[in-house]
Amino acid sequence: MEILVCIKQVPDDAAEIRLKADGTPDLDGVAQVVNAFDTYALEMATRLKEAVGGEITVISVGGESARDALKTCLAVGAQHAFLLTDPAFEGSDSLGKARILATAKAKLEEKSGKPFDLIFCGLEATDKATGQTGAQLAELLNLPLITNLTDISYENGTVTAKQETDFGYNLIDSAAPCVVTVNTPAYAPRYPTIKSKLAAKKMPIDPISLADLGEDAGKVGKQAALTRTVRFAEPPQKVAGVKIKEETCEDSARRAVAMMVEAKAL
Amino acid sequence: MAYIISEEGQELLGAVKEFCEKEVKEQCKEYDKTGEWPKEIYDKAIEMQLHMLEVPEEYGGMGLDRVSVAALIEQMAIADSGFATTISASGLGMKPVLIGGTEEQKQRACDLIVDGGFAAFCLTEPGAGSDASAGKTTAVRDGDSYILNGRKCFITNGAVSSFYCVTAMTDKSAGTKGISMFYIEKDTPGLSTGHEEDKMGIRTSNTCDVVLEDCRIPASNLIGAEGQGFSIAMKTLDQARAWMGCIATGIAQRGMEEAIAYGKERIQFGKPVLKNQALQFKIADMAIKIETARQMVAHALTLMDLGLPYSKESAIAKCYASDIAMEVASEAIQMFGGYGYSREYPVEKLLRDAKIFQIFEGTNEIQRIVVANNTIGRF
Amino acid sequence: MEQNQTQNVLAYVETAGGKPVNVGLELLTLARTIADAAEQKVTAVLIGSGLDEAAQRVAALGADKVVVVDDPAYTAFSMDEYTGVLEQLVKDENPAVFLMGNTPQGKGIVPRLAARFQSGCVADVTAVSIEDGALHWITPRFGGTVLAEEVIENSAVQFATVRTGAFSKPETAQNTAPAEKKAVSVPADSIRTQIREAVKELTESVNLEDADVIVSGGRGMGSAENFKLVEELAALLGGVVGATRPAIEDGWVSRAHQVGQSGKIVAPKLYIACGISGATQHVSGMSSSGFVVAINKDEDAAIFDVANVGIIGDAVKVIPAMIEEIRKAKAEA
Repeated sequence: MEILVCIKQVPDDAAEIRLKADGTPDLDGVAQVVNAFDTYALEMATRLKEAVGGEITVISVGGESARDALKTCLAVGAQHAFLLTDPAFEGSDSLGKARILATAKAKLEEKSGKPFDLIFCGLEATDKATGQTGAQLAELLNLPLITNLTDISYENGTVTAKQETDFGYNLIDSAAPCVVTVNTPAYAPRYPTIKSKLAAKKMPIDPISLADLGEDAGKVGKQAALTRTVRFAEPPQKVAGVKIKEETCEDSARRAVAMMVEAKAL
Repeated sequence: MAYIISEEGQELLGAVKEFCEKEVKEQCKEYDKTGEWPKEIYDKAIEMQLHMLEVPEEYGGMGLDRVSVAALIEQMAIADSGFATTISASGLGMKPVLIGGTEEQKQRACDLIVDGGFAAFCLTEPGAGSDASAGKTTAVRDGDSYILNGRKCFITNGAVSSFYCVTAMTDKSAGTKGISMFYIEKDTPGLSTGHEEDKMGIRTSNTCDVVLEDCRIPASNLIGAEGQGFSIAMKTLDQARAWMGCIATGIAQRGMEEAIAYGKERIQFGKPVLKNQALQFKIADMAIKIETARQMVAHALTLMDLGLPYSKESAIAKCYASDIAMEVASEAIQMFGGYGYSREYPVEKLLRDAKIFQIFEGTNEIQRIVVANNTIGRF
Repeated sequence: MEQNQTQNVLAYVETAGGKPVNVGLELLTLARTIADAAEQKVTAVLIGSGLDEAAQRVAALGADKVVVVDDPAYTAFSMDEYTGVLEQLVKDENPAVFLMGNTPQGKGIVPRLAARFQSGCVADVTAVSIEDGALHWITPRFGGTVLAEEVIENSAVQFATVRTGAFSKPETAQNTAPAEKKAVSVPADSIRTQIREAVKELTESVNLEDADVIVSGGRGMGSAENFKLVEELAALLGGVVGATRPAIEDGWVSRAHQVGQSGKIVAPKLYIACGISGATQHVSGMSSSGFVVAINKDEDAAIFDVANVGIIGDAVKVIPAMIEEIRKAKAEA
């Protein structure tokens, strides 16, 4: 099975990000990591690969720093990695990114002669949380889409996805090839082993540019973006309320419940 | 990073740090209370291959330089020094084989580690601590076998190891020259583990008695020749000491990090307490000590990598790093004030953890003897 | 690209079990604001079966027109079919703005529609401002510590998903709009995924998004046994049980209960956080709650920064005392 996993490098979502004096997000000193949902996607893909055989290719649109994110993926299950990088890609919106990924997929298939059976994306990226790229990639590739997966299996050309619902879960079938977006599965992404980490360091990560893709410069990047951020703001700080620390839990509870009644919260 | 490490080491550092932050640090707080050996954490560490950092490349290891390994071990120690001790003691248990063993013994021992095992080094006995020649454990040749009898105590990884390197008297009349070193795998009849220590610190490491009762092993399990055991044990400890210095440095580093974080947040007299120069100087003194200890560890390990003599440097590293770990942990508690003395906060554990590093693998008094002998020379 | 002649707003009101979900009604308020600013109309649409009651409810909430695609074939949600129906409705209604809730369904459907109409799309909108006639969409970034103000350009339709709880439901209008039934079929070849099996594991659905009261527990609850206290308090208040990721990872409660960035974004009237430290990933999922009560033994826990009332103490001891007090308060009332 040939699997493609699309990943994004994002600022560490454990960091609390504020604005700089110039009104843009202050990312200085914030570690760049693989988007958490993408790590779940890669783990799910890796488990599937281990079950049915095959190879995993990871791709990412980004600058040189995204190379580290791809290297991380090579240490935990991926066999090949390509960095989609070009000044012309900068400022792409989700549809633009989906277009770059879609074209890259076709190029990689053309080069290897092996079509991808499954394309994994994270449900959303933790920085912008739009969750659009995976769905739009499916549209541009004209492939079936299953969103919000927590597990996957594959048999005789049919992908079966587990999708959680308010009552339990759905099992959804689709013919391969298809695009899936991954939510948090029941299992955590694996850690690299010392050896896989050292091996990943030596694996090639070839760059792919706009020219390599043969894509029209007018269709990607800033000038093609349909959404534009005008400015950033910080949300009004919620004023912290009253802290209660009475002698006993009972006294604390009594005061708290009285305040809840007073605020008509009960 | 204060260690100057290889590109490979650099690559690994982030992954090991992340693992320790997410899987070790918080979890070990609880295990410190219960004293339970956290098997699931060690299983994860083994899966990540953290337990085999010291296995030589030719026997299936990674071939990392020692200073890079030290940077990784220090990360583990920052998270929990008991955890780091288990990992490092496994390296210790393997060393007698690597120092004095045959090709076959080396391959066998390393295979067991690579397959997910730990190792233990068994020298200390109830009546033989610093004075190894007072050991009562015996090994008697019987045809193609040796039969061992005796009791080893304070054995790190005693109950969790795949193999043991054990010293025993083959010639009681010869003193230290009568000590031999043996390789014994777990599940060998006659080998059992006894009393488990309920320790003051490093409570996530296992420490227990290892008991030998008519334990029969093939004669081929002798490491080196009869009578070489003491020399192999001393070489083992010479190397291992630098690693203990490394873990002690990690404890101190953690203490300083906690003190800085707390000092920035704790407001007294309307400002963070760390705005007081008196406390800033405490941090400066911690940094001076920690950095000095770390570079001494690195120096001793570099000498080892280069094949140069390292006894004195290794002893200095262990002795100094463990002394300053106690000082830094104590000062960190001081900076936390009353909270520092509370088990709810992370620093009192550091003092309990640090103490053993002044004691095991040669007390700091023994270290000073080693340093003195190496410095003064014969006269 | 050709700009639209009208500024009509098409608002898709998602339903569950024949009833509109909260955000589906809330976004009618936003639809009204946008339409009024340009003196245009709001068309609300519903898809499903047996929707008469739901359609009436929506019609009474101020939409100028209600279109109902009511067909037994659409009883169960299917991403491909619903996307196809909405694509057709967008073509028919020719709106300038399309709104849907930022629900799992909305997250899947809306970007697909945007791609089909070659249009821009914003997600998880919490507010809108209008500058020189242009819509400025406010969306959270980095888990909500930053807000981005975005505009959509060169697009036939502006697509947006709206955050649950960000807007209040509209008041009942004086005039009720007519509900117009419409048959929309989707080409068979566009249905490419099938629900093979819908497994029910729970007797009651965990509907955190629409809950008025949520009682959540975190790692500070300590054990599965103690977590039952959270369930007991929730039951007493007629609320739904929520949880943080650590509590779920420790197996105290199923994943359906997760509140936060990788779980549900909620906005109940009352949110009680028990033994929750207040990591950004969790807080970003509950910060729109009306009244927040937090119980934590760590005085410096970040959860207190977003709490109206914070109780410093061990949740395991405080909850039983609260249960007692609430019972008393209820008896008095």
